[in-house]
Formats: sequence, structure tokens, C-alpha cells
Amino acid sequence: MSGTGAFIPPGAQRYMRACMVCSIVRTEQQFKTSGCPNCDSFLELAGNADAVQDCTSSVFDGLLTISDTTKSWVARYQRLEGYVPGVYAVQVEGILPEDAIEAARAAGVQYYPRDGSVSEALPTDV
Amino acid sequence: MSGYDNRSGSESEEEDFNPEPEVDEENMPQNGKERAAAPKQLATNGDEDEEGDGEDEENDEEEDDEEEDDEEDDDDEDVVQRPAKRRKKTSRNQFLDVEAEVDEEEDEEEEGDDDIQDEIHPDDLLETAGPEDDRRHRELDMKRQVDAHKDAEQLARELDEKYRRREMQRAQRSAAGAIPLAHPTVNDPSIWGVKCRPGKEREIIMAITKRLDDLANAGRPVRVYSAFERGGTMTGYIYMEADAKQDMIAVIETIPNIFMGQAQIPIEVKERPDLLRKRKRTPLEEGKFVRMLRPPLYRGDLAKVVEVHANGLDCTVQIVPRLDYGLGEDANASVEGNKRKRPAFGKAIDRPSQKLFNETEAKKKHMKNLSMAGSGSQKTFTYKGDDYQNGFLIKDVKINYVSAENVNPKMEEMQFFSVTSADGTETLDLVAVQAAQKAAQSGSSFVSGDNVEIYDGEQKGVRGTTVSVTGDIVSLRVTEGDLKGRQIEAPVKILRKLFREGDHVKVIGGSKYIDEVGMVTRIKDDKVTLLCDSTQTEIIVFSRDLKRAADSATLGNDSEYELYDLVQIDAATVGCVIKVDREVLRVVDQNANVRTLLHSQVSSIVGRNRNAVATDRDGSEIRNDDTVKEHGGEGRVGRVIYIHRGVLFVRNREVLENAGIFVVRSANVTTMAAKSGRAQAIGPDLGKLNPALQAGTNGNAMPPPRTFGRDKLIGKTVVIRKGPYKGLLGIVKDTMNDEARIELHSKNKQISVKKELLTVKDPITGNNMEFGGKFPNRSRGGYPGTTPAGGRTPGWGNSSSRNGPSWGSTPTGGRTPGWGGGGGGGRTPGWGGATAYGGDGSRTAYGGDGSRTAYGGDGSRTAYGGATAYGGNDGSRTAYGGGFNSGGRTPGGPSWGNAPAKSSSNNLSAPTPGAYNAPTPAAYSAPTPGAYGAYSAPTPGGPPMDAPTPGGNYDAPTPGNSTTHHPTPRGYGGYGGGYGATPAAAPTPGAWAETPWGGGPETPAPSGMDEDPRYE
Repeated sequence: MSGTGAFIPPGAQRYMRACMVCSIVRTEQQFKTSGCPNCDSFLELAGNADAVQDCTSSVFDGLLTISDTTKSWVARYQRLEGYVPGVYAVQVEGILPEDAIEAARAAGVQYYPRDGSVSEALPTDV
Repeated sequence: MSGYDNRSGSESEEEDFNPEPEVDEENMPQNGKERAAAPKQLATNGDEDEEGDGEDEENDEEEDDEEEDDEEDDDDEDVVQRPAKRRKKTSRNQFLDVEAEVDEEEDEEEEGDDDIQDEIHPDDLLETAGPEDDRRHRELDMKRQVDAHKDAEQLARELDEKYRRREMQRAQRSAAGAIPLAHPTVNDPSIWGVKCRPGKEREIIMAITKRLDDLANAGRPVRVYSAFERGGTMTGYIYMEADAKQDMIAVIETIPNIFMGQAQIPIEVKERPDLLRKRKRTPLEEGKFVRMLRPPLYRGDLAKVVEVHANGLDCTVQIVPRLDYGLGEDANASVEGNKRKRPAFGKAIDRPSQKLFNETEAKKKHMKNLSMAGSGSQKTFTYKGDDYQNGFLIKDVKINYVSAENVNPKMEEMQFFSVTSADGTETLDLVAVQAAQKAAQSGSSFVSGDNVEIYDGEQKGVRGTTVSVTGDIVSLRVTEGDLKGRQIEAPVKILRKLFREGDHVKVIGGSKYIDEVGMVTRIKDDKVTLLCDSTQTEIIVFSRDLKRAADSATLGNDSEYELYDLVQIDAATVGCVIKVDREVLRVVDQNANVRTLLHSQVSSIVGRNRNAVATDRDGSEIRNDDTVKEHGGEGRVGRVIYIHRGVLFVRNREVLENAGIFVVRSANVTTMAAKSGRAQAIGPDLGKLNPALQAGTNGNAMPPPRTFGRDKLIGKTVVIRKGPYKGLLGIVKDTMNDEARIELHSKNKQISVKKELLTVKDPITGNNMEFGGKFPNRSRGGYPGTTPAGGRTPGWGNSSSRNGPSWGSTPTGGRTPGWGGGGGGGRTPGWGGATAYGGDGSRTAYGGDGSRTAYGGDGSRTAYGGATAYGGNDGSRTAYGGGFNSGGRTPGGPSWGNAPAKSSSNNLSAPTPGAYNAPTPAAYSAPTPGAYGAYSAPTPGGPPMDAPTPGGNYDAPTPGNSTTHHPTPRGYGGYGGGYGATPAAAPTPGAWAETPWGGGPETPAPSGMDEDPRYE
């Protein structure tokens, strides 16, 4: 899967967007042509420009490249485990449309906003 | 899942049950290779499960499923690449493990989360496990057999499929957020912070991505698991996650913009989560004020959110435009050379000021860029691609282009956003303002002792006094109501400061009125109106910006201008600052208009030109610091502080208006007093213009008579009248200006004493010799007693005021004879002058010479002695003189008289005029003579002096002298011609003529002859 490469050439970096569900970062064009590698089963971004607009965000912060989503603690912490290796964002702004959230839920994925709006204060083990 | 790892690590009781945390990780991605170990493993699993059974019912079920899984996967267990021993266990366990996790999850869920219930492993759903073990075993066997027949490829595919599915599920589950975040453990890869060039973080991450991709494509192990940056929060760093530092370095080594020179910083385990902390963005709301971050043109500007778009990524803001309407365009810029100019990095761009959109302005240059829609208040302009409504720029921006934090809008910025209501009055949208302000409020705006009120929440309405402030929590002591006396705490958010009308408060922040002090006159909500102490104007500020003030107003922030500075207003206008305010200057300009200017409207301080000169209406020069009086008008008086092109800025401390500054034209004032006693021309100083005078031969040739030669005091026996040596007798050994060195009789010591403190004594008789004493001495005992007394006494009289000079003059006397004798001719004119103008000129002109004039006076007096024209003491003295020599001279007297008359300003003035008024003075208008008078004055003094002395000795020569005199008058006449005075000349000579006659005998007399050599 890394064969295609997650690398985005500098010229295209202006058009980077991040999936609001999995936070993967690709260019708008990539989203339009091939959708989100992790979430396309329910977001169906490929070939759907509107959906790309709605479900991906150009406002994100913290670029994160992951080569191994299982070994990386970062990936785990970012809830990226099991996703394809590639470039992700640490924080993604934007509000996922209600129907997309619904679709995610239906697909067994509970949407977890990545914009920092949900507290990360978690019941820690102990 | 990793959460589970942790847990399993920490909760050791479950260890056996849920053996190897890492298993998960290993299982998932790897494609199975290990097969052989499977059955064995299975067995172990079974054992374990059974043990576990007792503990958990559900476990059972799950395990059953597990077994099935195992069956399915048996062959595929080759996935694991780990060392065999461990592998055996782990690989076998993988499903068990998973289930165990689920188990745990469910355990937890029982306690809390319900969602997870339905998130059961798909495998579980596929088969509802039967209770009987043997059936399952059979199934397993069968399956294994089937598997055995499958070819490896297909198996792989199946496996792949399966794991894919599972992974997906896991991912989904983790994304679901139901699982607590995985906190890092020491078992996780390490993270290093690597320094890099700020601003290049993203590029670097991309470069690393590329490198990792390449490695993976080349089939080489990728040992860097992740790399990330945190943009704005941690500029200049990227973070690398890897097992070993070496792996990490190998990857980044050759990437540009990474600073390898500096050591990579290992990040401690417990700090790692902080690296990934998300910052919650302050939510944008409609109507809220924000600050623009981008584009640079509007950076820092206040904007109002009009709309937040549904996706939460964009918003529409209302900004006060900064447009120059093409004024800044370079008309000559070539069209094709339309390269975008980038301002130098970090350089602030020069941007137009904030101004509401102006249609007319836009039309001027950019008609084609302007289009219009709507009408009335809904009128919208589209200008150069942007929309403008009600003068505001309406712009869609990304939410990261605006900042809702630390907005702190200032009142003046808010002015733009005031809402025009139906009746045309403008009101601020105070709610929005308040919201914005409130957000900025922190504990720091409260100080202990503030009166506060809780205006929100359950305790709304409670009032109290601040006791202490800790962060954003204020503890206050309640002063009113039921809770009185209790100390409670409240967050800053719900507090507002409370003031009462009449309170004296100080503005401590938030507005341009900072530091202003005033009295509260009105309070509405949290807006307080106060009457400023300094400006006596009412201002409105928020109560949070106020504190009780004990002090009174200080001048605001320093202005670069000071009171009474002369400032340049525009190229042709200057003004004098008469009030410095925070924002404005009050200036009275050269046209006497008072203007109020912003500091920015004043271009510079002109400063004071020390050489500036103006002339008053009389032609006298005026310089800075002279006192002038306005002619006509109010007759204002003041000191000139600036002279600017014929305009005087005059300051009078007693005038309150305009800080005492008034502006007059220089031609409209008269000089009252010049600083430092600068000579004030009564008219223009013609002397300077007069070539004859300048030539110096005749006119001014004669310098003010000075003491020449040996001081007659030397050798005299004197008594000291004053000072520590009072009463002592001594002999004058030497003299300097006004001091004499005296050798005391009593003590072999020389002391310096002022001449004026000396009285000359007759060394023999011990009698006081008065001033005249000198003469006798001079004449060397000629007639000590007699001669002196008469003529000289008056001399004393005159000189009594200035003894020193009087001395000086004595010699003059000496000269006079000289006059008479030889070169006198030349001087005579001088004389004539004297006579003509009278002493006036002389007096005025000479400071010191005045004394001489006095002398002249003497002489004259002596001369008049006979005339008796003068009363007073002089008279008596004159009488003396008269008795002696002057009798004859007296006739001449009149002519002299003039001189004395005026010179007499000391004593004799009164009479003289009477005598000669008509002819001389009148004739010679005062001015010109000034110069002459100067010289002339002394001279007159001379003759008389001479008179006595010679009288005794040199009768014979006198005539000769007298002859000489004759020419003099003529000469004089000539002079007269030279001057405006000429007309007068006629009389004078006449007068003069007399002098010789009368004086003839005396003048010559001048023993002067003797002294001539000395003085000339």
C-alpha cells in the first residue's frame, strides 16, 4: 500500500486536505479520485466532490507520517491503528456532516472528532 | 487496543489469562507463516481457557469462538516473525488474545459503556458458539483438513481478507473513541525531537514520508514508525518515533533543513502525550469579534463574524476595509511585467488605513472593477472581487485565518462596528463588545479591595469586596445581603467591578483613556461614565478597566511634543503647542488660530532659532526672550519665546488663555526691555552708517577719555574709610582700575583697597584733601589749598556717585589743556560737540564716561561758577571756582553751559536747559549727537579743570591756546554739517566762539601744557 506513496509533492501541498474521520492527509484531487483509503467504505468520497468538500478539511494541524500503524505508539494514541500507513494530521478542524456521522456509525465506526473539541481527559488505567 | 496492552501489563492477575500483550500488534499485519506450532498452541490455549472459565462466563463463549478462529487460522499462524518460543505462544494466542481484549472491554462496559456491546467481533457473530466442546473439536479437525487442501495462495488471500476485516474493525473501534487513549509505555518505540528550520516542518515530514516510502518499496525494513510536527505550537522541531536512535538518524540524515548539528532530544515517556495534544479552537460564533491573522493586509484587524459556515471551516467576516483605491498603483508598471512583488520577509507592509468603503473613491480609478447590487441598506458593491456592504468588507475566510483569542477590542476600533439604528443614532453592538471583552477578562484586572458584583450564575447579585485573586478565581467578602461577611469564591467570568457614582476612579486598561482619572458620573450595566479630571470631558469605559484611584490624573502617555514647543504644522504654518493631550495637541498657529491636531498631523518640532531677529515698530531689534508690548489692541505684554518670520509667539504667564501664548506681528509691538541690557536704539543707529564716523579720523577718533599715564593717586597719603583696614593710613603705591595698592603706615604691608574707599590726606597737615587734592598734587604743590578747592570740589560732587571715574576724569582735565595747547584743534570739534549737544549724548552713551561728563560738569560748573546758574551744592562749589579763575570764564560759560546743562542730568540739569534750551538742544535733535556727546562731554570737563591750574602758572601760553581754539569751532561747524545736526551747528559755533573768548585765557592756561605729553 505504501507503494503508491503518501508523499505529496510541495506544489500540491497547498491542496492538502485531511479526512475528518481518520485524519489522513491527501490532496483534494486524490480524495476525489481515490477517496479515503480508510473510510471510503462509508464516506464514499471517491468521485464525489461534494462529499470530499464536506468530509475532508483543509484546516488541520500537525502533519504526521506513519510507516507502521501498529507499532507506533503515536498511531495508537492518534487512534490510527489499523489504518493504512501514510500521512495523517494530528488535529483536524471541521464538523462532519450529520449524515456522514450516521454513515460511519452504521459502518461500525464511531466518529471521534479530531478537532480537539472532545476532551482527551480519559479514565486512565490505574 | 494498546490500552489493553497496558492493562494487561499492569494487571498481573490477568496475565495468565491474557498472556501476551504484544501479540496483537504482531498478529495483525503479518501474514502467517507459522503453522507447525498451531496445534500445540491450541492445546495450550484450551488449557488456559479452562482455567479462565471459572472466572468469567462470557469468556467461555468467547473462547469457543476463539477456538474456531484458531481452527480457521491454524495454518496461517506462520504470520509471526518473532523468535519461536515466544511465537508459539503468541501466535496461538492471538485470537484468544483478541477475545480477551474484547472480554475486558466488555467487563469494562458492564461497568460503564454500553455501546461496545454490539461491537462484537464479526467472527463471534458468524457463529454462535455451541456449548459442546467435542463438536467443535470435530469441526476444527474438519476445517484443518480442508485447509490442508487449500493451496497456500488461496489461504493467504483468505487470511488477508480476514485480517483486513479485523483490522478495519479495530481501527474503527479505536476511532470510535470508546477506548481510552493509549498512554505510552517504556515498551513503545522512543520518540526524539529533532531541530529543524522553523517553517519547514511540513516539508520535512513530507520528505521523510518519501524516504520511508522508498525504503518500503525497496523492501527494506522501515524502522522509523512515525514522524510528525506540531506546526504553530512547536516550531523548529519535528519528532521521530523509532526503536533506536540510529534508525531514526539514518532516515533524516540527508534531509535538508534538519539541523543535524544539534543533538536529538529524547522525549520522556510521560511527556509524549503532550506532543500530540490537540488544542481546542475557540469556537467562532456569529456576532463575535475576532482578530484577523491573514491575509497580511488585515492582520491584526478587528473583524466581526457574520456567519460560520456549516462545515466549520469557513466563516464570513466583516472587516473595515483597507483600500487605497488604486492610489498606490504604479501607473507606469508594465502590464506583462506583472510579477507579484513579495515584500521582504518579516517586513511590515505599508497598508492603507482603515476606512469604510467609499463608492466615489472606488469609481475614480476603478470604475470597471466596481459593480453594484441591491439598494438601500442592502446595497452591495463588488469591488475587485470583494464584496462590500455598508462600507464593510464582507469576506469569506478560513477559520484558521482568524483568531478568537485575545481579541481585546478597543473602543475606538469598535466605533466602526457601531450599528446604525432606524432613527439614525449610532449604537455599538454592546453585547458583542461585551462578549469580546469578557473573554479577555482575567483575574489580573481585579485587585484586592475592588468592589465587585456577581452578575451571573446562582449567586447573581451578590456584592462584595475582593479579598484575593488566584488565577481566574476571585475570593470576595460579601458585603451585602444574607451572605454578608462570608467569604466566597467566584470565577472572574461572572464578576464585574462595581463602582458608585462619585467614586474617583482610574482607567487601568482596555481603552485609549488609559491612565485617565475621573469621577464616576453614571453607571449603566458595566459601562461607566466618568468625568475626567484632566480634560473635564465625559468618557465611557468598561468597569473592568477601572480601579479606584487615590491619585489624581497624571499626564497620559508621553507625547513627543511638549508644551510651548514650536511645531511645524504644514509647510507654511507653524504653531506653538499650548496643550498636550493624549491624542491631540492644541496649537496656536502663526495666524493666531487655535487648532487641535492629532500628534500625527504635526510634522516636526521646529525649535528655537537663537539668531532669529525681528524689528519692532520703532525699528529696534527683537530677539528671543525680549519683553515686548503690543502696540494698540489689548496692549498685551510678554516675553518673546519664538520669532517666526515677523511673527512673535509671546508668552505672558499671567494670561490663562492659550496657556499664556499670544501671537503678534513684530511690527505691532514695542520693545520694553531687551534681554541682557542690549542697547536699544532709540532710532536707527546712524552712527554706524555714518562714513565720517566710521572713518574715524575726526568724529569718533576720540575714544572715551581714559586714564592714561601715572595715576595721580599714586604717592598720595590716604586713609581707608571702610573695611577691615578702616582708619588706617597709608601711601598709595600703585593703582589699577578701581583699586589701589596701599602701603600701610602702621604695618609693613601692602593691601589692595578700592579707590572709592580712600580719602586723600595731606601728609603734613593730615587734613582731608577731598578729591581736588589730586590737583594740587598734580601741580606739585602749586597751590594746594586754594586752587583745588574751587573747581574741583564740584568735580567731586558729581563724581561722588562714581568716584573711580571721577578720578579717571581728572586726567581728562589734563588733556584739556593739551587741547588748548597743541592738537587740541582736532578735539575741539569734540568739544564743540559737547557744547552743542550738551552732556546728554555723552551720558547716555558712556557708562563710565558718564563720570567724565560729570567732570565736564565740573568744568562747566567752574565755568559757570560765575554764572551761578546752578543751584545746589554745586553752586557753592562753582562759586569757588568762580572766585578763582572762572570769573572771567563764566562768559564762556554759557557755551559750556550747554554741556553741563545736560550733563548735569546729575545735578545740574534743571538749570541748564533754562539757560540754553532754545538754541542748542532744540536744534540738535537728540539722536545724532549721541555719539558726539560721548566724546564731547569729557572735553568740556577739561577746560574748567585746566582753568584753575593754569590760571596760576601759564598765562602766556594761554593766548596761544586760545588761538588754537578758534579753529576748533570751525571744525565743529564742519562737523555739524556732516550731521543732520548741522543746522544747529550755527548756533553752536557761536557758543563756541564765546568759549574761546571767555575761556581763551583759561583754556590756554592749561598747565595742560605740561601734561599734554602724557595724555596725547
